[in-house]
Amino acid sequence: MTANDVLPGRAPVIKGKGSGPGGRGRARGGPGGGRGRGRAGRFALFGRFRFLYVSPALVFVAVLLYLPFLWTAYLSLTTYDGLGSPAFTGLDNYRRLLEDEALLTSIRNTLLWVAGTTLLPVGLGLLVAVLSYDLKGGSWFRLPFLLPYAMSGAGLGLIWGFILQPEGMANQVLSFLGMPGGNTEFLQDGPRNTIAMIVVWAWQQLGVNMLLFVVGLQSIPKAPIEAARLDGASGWRMFRHVIWPLMRPLTTVVFGLALVASLKTFDIVWVMTQGGPGRTSETLAVTMYRDVFVADEYGYGSAVAVLLTTITGLASYIYLRRQAGREGT
Amino acid sequence: MRARDLSGAARRTLLVVLGLVWLFPTYLIVANAVRPATDYDPSDAVKPPSKLGLFDNIGEAWDRTNVGDTLLSTGLYSIVAPALAVLVGALAGYAIVVLRLRHGFAWFVVIFAGTVVPFQMLLVPLFIGYSKVSLYDNRLGLILVYTAINVPLAALVMRNFFGNMAVSIYEAARMDGASTFRIFWRIYLPLSSAALAAVFILEFTYVWNDLLFGLTLSQTETVRPVWAELSALTTDVYAGTPVPIALAAGLVVSLPTVVLFLVTQRLFTRGLTLAQF
Repeated sequence: MTANDVLPGRAPVIKGKGSGPGGRGRARGGPGGGRGRGRAGRFALFGRFRFLYVSPALVFVAVLLYLPFLWTAYLSLTTYDGLGSPAFTGLDNYRRLLEDEALLTSIRNTLLWVAGTTLLPVGLGLLVAVLSYDLKGGSWFRLPFLLPYAMSGAGLGLIWGFILQPEGMANQVLSFLGMPGGNTEFLQDGPRNTIAMIVVWAWQQLGVNMLLFVVGLQSIPKAPIEAARLDGASGWRMFRHVIWPLMRPLTTVVFGLALVASLKTFDIVWVMTQGGPGRTSETLAVTMYRDVFVADEYGYGSAVAVLLTTITGLASYIYLRRQAGREGT
Repeated sequence: MRARDLSGAARRTLLVVLGLVWLFPTYLIVANAVRPATDYDPSDAVKPPSKLGLFDNIGEAWDRTNVGDTLLSTGLYSIVAPALAVLVGALAGYAIVVLRLRHGFAWFVVIFAGTVVPFQMLLVPLFIGYSKVSLYDNRLGLILVYTAINVPLAALVMRNFFGNMAVSIYEAARMDGASTFRIFWRIYLPLSSAALAAVFILEFTYVWNDLLFGLTLSQTETVRPVWAELSALTTDVYAGTPVPIALAAGLVVSLPTVVLFLVTQRLFTRGLTLAQF
């Protein structure tokens, strides 16, 4: 047997599921697993120390992800400045959250990020993908959108921070082109600074969304499209009633990823404005960072982290339920 | 037929117009990163540079900031942590689907659910805990965190990949008397090199571009990863840095992930398709 025979998608493979030779059941989980074979037989086939193989992964995840998670949840119920030990204060931090004006701004900005990120880069990415996926030389038309994706979130913030300064290139270029707004203070007032950063983010993120949609569009089965074409469908109707439904699973994933990522926006904001001026462009992730590492309010910052986690969890849950519901009908 | 040609032309026009809008900032950035710092004038930013100053700008960025030092550590983190994560994830995947660990799926869920944890939930405890065990501002500390956050994805992909390999390979090798670890090391790992590479590249890029953990868990320039250091260019620390120098630094530091991605693009798509992501 050569390597190619074992790779999926090339040759039929015997999957690990079901019963193999000798009527062997699945050993993993559930009653009946490993029936008809003694302990000794299972050990002979699979070795005695199987658990050792998962333990490194479990240790990493438990010690560095779950333990800190629980610790933050606890700290959110305390007052703690990093010195001495945390003092338990119950729900005080959460009561304070309700009255914190900076937090309100931060929530508003986070919602702007969610709306902006799902509409602009994902929506425009879909548009470019649909326009170009079956054109000859489509990849050339897509190249300009892919170039910005080379930059990281921090790099994007760094470079655009310089471009959007009051004396920066953006204003000079607007004047140069004879367009209005040549002295806009892009980053000085909220929510304009948030919107400016969302536009920059869209400029960068369109490419990857477009790429995902192109892959999806190109793998749509051809038969339904041809059938619809024979029935006289084309253009918008073809897209709306044939292509779009076929793309559903993919759009669910792409929108979902953008949604979750946008709720946790940090890098670009931190590098471009540090959430300022005067906390006007903070997102929840920035607020959390500032509360902890600038203001030394470990307990309160933890409460913000818990809030962010709750919002992210709820949003994902509602989104997935809605998507599942639609598929059911 | 004619109607379709027309719509094709309209689509092309729209794409070109949008494409030009998208290219313009790219041009602006590259042109002004290449321009000698002394020639920079925001009101002439649109004009193509008359002289090539890119390398001087990069050199200047190296002198003004600690990019040189930070790049070394960043390279270390971006190679070691993903390699460890891929290995740890592959071991877990192997135990779960090939060795059919008892309650394997439950263990898998425990590992994979780690991706759901927002990093904001980790920062305070890691900062406090690391300070206590002197892992704060320590390269080992950063490697451990970067590995941990990358293990779930590696476990997912490798579990799926191993699940699609024929069990008969395992059984045959076992009948021949190979130990479970030997089968993992000599058969399963080499056969899954495409998937391993794909995960590695994804995770390399992630670690290279990280800002959050670098800011939180490090301080000195020999430990601090590059973006955490460069982010200071927009704050007072490096106030007065000429624009072309900042742009050049930003572009150069972005380069490794781009090159890696371009070089391995085919391998990458193949690896992920095979893993049936």
